[in-house]
Parts: sequence; structure tokens; C-alpha cells
Amino acid sequence: MSTETNYDLTRAAMEPGGTGEVMIEIHDMDKWFGDFQALKDINLVVGKQEVVVVIGPSGSGKSTLIRCINRLEKHDEGTIVVDGVEMSDDLKNIQEIRREVGMVFQSFNLFPHLTVLDNVTLAPRQVRNWPKAKAEEEAMSQLERVKIPEQAPKYPGQLSGGQQQRVAIARALAMQPKVMLFDEPTSALDPEMIKEVLDAMVELAESGMTMIVVTHEMGFARAVADRVVFMADGQIVEVGTPEHFFENPQEERTKLFLSQIL
Amino acid sequence: MADTTADRDMAAETAMPGPPDPPERPQVARLTPMEWVRENLFSTWYDTLMTVVFGAGLVFAIYRGLRFLFVTGRWEIIDRNMTNLMVWLWPNRPDLLRPWVALFLMVAAVGLLAGRAVRVAATVAEEAGEPIEELSWRENALRVLGRFWPFVMLLVFIGWYSGSPETWLMELLVVVDLLAFRALALRLPKAVADRTGLIAGLLFLAAFGTLTWFGGHGWDDWGGLMLTIFLAAGGIILSFPLGVGLALGRRSSFPIVRTICVTYIELIRGVPLITLLFMASIMLGFFLPSDFNSPAGVTRALVAIILFTAAYVAEIVRGGLQSVPQGQIEAAQAVGLSPLKQTRLIVLPQALRNVIPALVGQFISLLKDTSLVAIIGQFEILGVARRITNQGDFAGQGLLAETLFFAALVYWVLAYTMSRESQRLEKRLGVGER
Repeated sequence: MSTETNYDLTRAAMEPGGTGEVMIEIHDMDKWFGDFQALKDINLVVGKQEVVVVIGPSGSGKSTLIRCINRLEKHDEGTIVVDGVEMSDDLKNIQEIRREVGMVFQSFNLFPHLTVLDNVTLAPRQVRNWPKAKAEEEAMSQLERVKIPEQAPKYPGQLSGGQQQRVAIARALAMQPKVMLFDEPTSALDPEMIKEVLDAMVELAESGMTMIVVTHEMGFARAVADRVVFMADGQIVEVGTPEHFFENPQEERTKLFLSQIL
Repeated sequence: MADTTADRDMAAETAMPGPPDPPERPQVARLTPMEWVRENLFSTWYDTLMTVVFGAGLVFAIYRGLRFLFVTGRWEIIDRNMTNLMVWLWPNRPDLLRPWVALFLMVAAVGLLAGRAVRVAATVAEEAGEPIEELSWRENALRVLGRFWPFVMLLVFIGWYSGSPETWLMELLVVVDLLAFRALALRLPKAVADRTGLIAGLLFLAAFGTLTWFGGHGWDDWGGLMLTIFLAAGGIILSFPLGVGLALGRRSSFPIVRTICVTYIELIRGVPLITLLFMASIMLGFFLPSDFNSPAGVTRALVAIILFTAAYVAEIVRGGLQSVPQGQIEAAQAVGLSPLKQTRLIVLPQALRNVIPALVGQFISLLKDTSLVAIIGQFEILGVARRITNQGDFAGQGLLAETLFFAALVYWVLAYTMSRESQRLEKRLGVGER
């Protein structure tokens, strides 16, 4: 796009961070909703243990991008490779990727008919075929990690929004995923509950989890992200370290967005 | 609301520096009974007129009702035909031992399940850290009576009008049987208790076997209340999975499956049950080879009832499936559940709970629709109630009111209990939900 600087979008997007080993590779991905092109020519490589924060105005395709990674949306063109497995239409293939990719939603999506403990043990028992005792042990350790082990016997409806979202994080972690996707995890929360969820995410990032986070929490992006991806109109506009991104943005579109939110 | 806040603020200002007055709840004026009557029944002249007219009508209806029950009703027809009403011609009646044993086995199974339900509820409450209510046996008895008073009323009615001590004795034994097995279920060791459902199922099977096997009679020879309950229970148990399957099939991604399910549902729903019953009992014969040994009356009626109800259940369940938010399915996909497990573990439990009221309504309707089999020559309780007025000593005496009243009472007790218990179930499954 911008040509007068020496900023190279492709290089910034395709150079994996973290350990330098590749975890997720997205090449030339397009996504259409009917006649509307939601994603255009997406290229992004995420390294192991890297934390990538995706920001951008609403409708820019951020959520669609991460939902394509675990096939909640089907991409139309291009390739997605997660930990060496290429996403295809084969259900086995999809399941294999979903087992390794945890996801946290904006609206929590806990299972309301199951207790917190059952929410967390469900997938390990049903998908990984763990015995009950092992699944419960793992679940309790994940609930302790997000600091709500005492809520285990309750139902999601009895918890606050912040607690529910932390349960959702524990539920995803109980599958011991290699990658965690966060789709605006704090957008549906009351302000005083945002911190408890962000704290859990910071702890997770520090433990070396590979994470892609769609969020509007710029403080989180600055503090935790290895790279920030800025999207607008279904395209990746700019990619860079938080310092690069917040202090010295190159693209006009990025500058405009930052001026609006900061 | 705004007023009270303002008042309080003002009060706080004037009363400084003392502590502010606690906010007062607005007082609701309590009426004496006389005031209530005057205000609600006789406040204007047309209120008074209404009260008098409808009051008189009500008093007259109650008077006639009680008179029918205690004075003019010739209840000996119920007493004399009690066995007919219960089992019709179980008969040739060499012995009624089989129906009795079957009844006791079934009541035992129900008792076990009831005890199990209490136990599970207690465990759930305990795990959720909710306080467990300790009830004295009197409170417990009152609560049970509050739940099952229609059954008690029916038992009293039967005992009272039969006028024989044996009836009271047998009724007592049935109740003792129920309570004993309920108590047993509460005290079983955990390993056995976890299999209560299986044990109850075996008891039901044993009850069925007692009637049918070893020289018993198949259901084509059944009648009376026994047939009503068999048709209703069989219809509910078998139409439910079929209906759920059809509902899921209607949402299938395979066009063929979808088309078959939609066609089935729309065809069956477009036809009255009575037409299906006629088709099953009469027309089927035209299409089958004459030497084909096809099942007879009751089986065909049961199949017709199941096919009919399944179509309605399917549409009810479809509504439930649509009520489950897309986010639930996405969450289930995201944790890696297979499509089958997404449906079985996440979607169906929520969908079915949402449609309990509609489902129970359908099943109550089924219970009452079993009376239609009388039209194809099967005598369930309503059929028997009509027929006994033409028999023997009672022929030509016009005692239909008595027998129909009894049949209606039995239907109502069953339907009302289904309705009440389903509401309890609904509440219980809503634990911790907002």
C-alpha cells in the first residue's frame, strides 16, 4: 500500500515471532459471505509461543479471521496450516485441528445445563477419552489457574460475567491446546470484571502459550503482544511490534484508527 | 420510586447530623374479609347482580354435583364392574392373580424410581452446596399429599363406593408396596442404586411378562384401564425417540433425509388420528396378502398412535432445537466434539428442556386419544364405561353418567399428575439458570 517508506508488510506478517518455529501459517486466504468479501489475501505466520493481537474497526474481519483457523467459518481460497496440519473439508482433519486449538468467545458460550466442572471436563472426557478422575484433576488445576476452583459445583448462570469468561478459558485450556484463540473476550463484560479476565490471559501468555487475541484492550496489546496486526476492510493493513505499531505507525489507515481510539 | 428517594433525601437533609431514616416500604392496606367482599363483590349494582347470578349458579351446580355423588348416583355399577373397568375381559377370568402381580411389580418399579429421584436431587443439591431441607415425617406426608392428592382421592372414591373391606385392603397394600420400594431405593448401596433405572426397567418387563408369558394373554386380549395405560405408556415411550429422530432428520444436511422427514411429518399431521386408526385396522388388510399373518388390533392401534404422535413430537422438538443459540454449537465445535456428540450432549439436552411443557401437552393429548381405539373395537376404559351400562342388571337404566364420571376421573387424575410432575421436572432442570 504505502510505498514511500521501507516498511514491508509481507515481511512483517510472514516472519514468525515467539520461538521462531511456525505454529500457524495462513496463505492468500479469501472468505466470502455471499457477495461480500469478508477477507482478502490474508497472509500471516504465527510462531510457537507468540502472542498476536488483532485489532481494527468493527466489520474489518478480525473475528472472521480467527474463526477460520478452527473452521467455525469455512475459508474459500488459500491455505491454513495449524501445527503442520492443513485445514481441509475432511471432518477428521478439522477435528484434529480443533483438538489443538482452544477458543474463547465474546459471549462465553458456556453450556448452561452443565456445572462448571462438567463444562471443563466434557471435552477431555468425550474427545480425548480421559477417565473421569484424570479429567477432573486437570479441570480443577485449570480452574485454580484462573482462580475460581470454588465455583466448580455451580452452574454458569450463577456466576458473574468475569467468572464465566474465566471458566471458558479453563474449559479451553483443559484440552491442553497448542494454540488459544480469543474473540473479543472482554467486550461483553462489565468494566470492573475486565481486569480479572485480562490477568488470566496475561498469565497464560507468560506461560508460553501461542495466542491470537482479537481485542479492543490496547493496554493488553501493548503489554503482552509480540506483534500487533491491524485489519481494515477484510485486509491486513499493518503488522508490527507494539512499539512499532503504537509509536510509529506507517499506514494512514492505522494512524486514523489510532487517533480515534487513543 | 422517585418520590421515596426524594423524600429520603429531604429527610436526611433536615435531620442532619443524625443517621438518615431507614427507607420505609410503602404500606399495603390490609382488608378485613368483610371489606374485601364489599370491595370486590358488591362495589356497584352490576357487581352485585353478577355476584348474585353467578353465586346462585355456582351453588346450584355444587348442590347438584354433591347430590349426584352422594344421593342419586347409583355407584353400584362402578363397584360391580370395577374388574371390568380395570382389565375388561382379562378374563374368561380364570384368575386375576396375573394382573395383580403385574400391578404390584409396576408400583414397585415406580416406587424405586421415586426414591431414586429424591436421592439424585439430594446429591445434586449437596454438590452445589445448597442447604438440604430436613423435613419431619408429617411435613413430608403433607407434601406428598399435596402432590398426589388426585390419586388419593381416586383410591378413596374406589374404596368408598365399592363398600367392601377387601378393596381397602388391596389399596393399602398397593400404597405400602409403593412406599416400601421408595424407602428401599433410598437405602440401597450406591453401586446398586446407580442401576435403579435398569432394575425398574426389569420390573416393568417382569410385569409385562407376568401378564403375557407362561400361558398369559397377549395385549390383544387386554382391556380397561390396563389397556389405556399400556397404549399411553407404549405410545409415549416409542413416539418420543421417533419424534426426536424426525426432528433431527428435518435439520439434516442430507437432502434425501430431510425430504423424507418433512414428507412424513406433513402427511401424518394432515390426517386425523381416527383416520390412521381406521387405516391401520381395516385398510391395511386390503394391501397385505391374505396369508400374511399380520398383527391384530391392539398392535396396529399402538403403531398408529406412535406414528401419529411422533409427527407432532418432531415439530415440538424442532422448535426446541431452534431455541438453542448458535453460540452453543460453536462452543461445542471449538472444543472438538464430533457432530453426533454436539447434538447428543449439548444441543438436545437444552432443546428438550425448553419444550417440556409442549411435549407433556402432547403426551396428555395422547393419553386421552387412546380412547379412540374403542372405535376400532378395542375396549379401553372409556369403551368399557359405555359398554357396561348395557350389560346384565344395568341394561336400559341409563347409568352412563356414573360410568363416564368414573372414566373422566381416572383420565383427569392421570393427566393432572403428568402435568404437575412435569412442572416439577422443569423447575428442577432449571437449576442455576436465569
